[in-house]
Amino acid sequence: MGHRLFMLDVPENVPIAGVARHLPDVRVGRLGPYFVIESDAPLSIDRRATGVRHAVWYSFVAGLDGWRIAQWDKDALRTEER
Amino acid sequence: MNQLNDQHLVTGVDHIAFPTFDPAGTVKFYRDVLGFPVVHSICAAGWGPGDHPDFIHFFFDIGNGDRIAFFYYFGLPRPDTSAGSGDVYARFPEGTPDWFVRSRHLALHVESEEHLLEYRRRLDASEWPVEMQIQHETIESIYTHDPNGYFFEITRALRPVTPQEDLDADLTIDALVHIAQTPGHTLDDLLVRRAELIVERAPEWTATQEAR
Repeated sequence: MGHRLFMLDVPENVPIAGVARHLPDVRVGRLGPYFVIESDAPLSIDRRATGVRHAVWYSFVAGLDGWRIAQWDKDALRTEER
Repeated sequence: MNQLNDQHLVTGVDHIAFPTFDPAGTVKFYRDVLGFPVVHSICAAGWGPGDHPDFIHFFFDIGNGDRIAFFYYFGLPRPDTSAGSGDVYARFPEGTPDWFVRSRHLALHVESEEHLLEYRRRLDASEWPVEMQIQHETIESIYTHDPNGYFFEITRALRPVTPQEDLDADLTIDALVHIAQTPGHTLDDLLVRRAELIVERAPEWTATQEAR
């Protein structure tokens, strides 16, 4: 099992799940009302690819299991092994 | 057994009160520009301790029967606001970040974009034009400072709040209370604790929602 990033399923976050789904070796599942973005290798999500506004981008992460955030800025969210 | 002991009984803001040293500007801003009716005022001679000045306490309707109120104290000198930042009540030293100074503010609610833009129009035609219009996560807001320097927001919901946001808020606050007991806690600690609570509570929450 890979490490997990949780994200609440609200309309603003749906484009982020869409981008994550197309990342190599990333699985997007569900746990209750949360998206579970799971991967064995560190995640890297491009902000511009998601098209979400800044307020959404900087608040979409609900929880981290195994990952630590290595970068979270106007360009990308990148995780690393905890 | 008390029938009320587990009920949420309050019904909103009765009034929120601020001091003013500019009663004319305050009336112009709230009554004449924004169109908030004056709904109450009390003029009183100084009472209580010997140094209490005569004052007037006046109220504007902010909708829903709620009110914003001001105290104007006769003869009380206006604080020096020439240096630093903040408002007439709370001053901050030079260099205090704006995001911190602005973090205490009053936000009034409107029902639609049309209503938000109507207040934007009124403010933009006044001495207190809108300084920012921002779409946050789920709300859109306009901001200005009133004549007293109080940071003032009018906001609308971009969509209704979903039930899962209530769950998320609950478990986030439980996570915050948990990590706040550890010195040096960070957002990272919060996200880790939140993940634990998501794993613990989210599946059951879904089952409860489906049973409804």
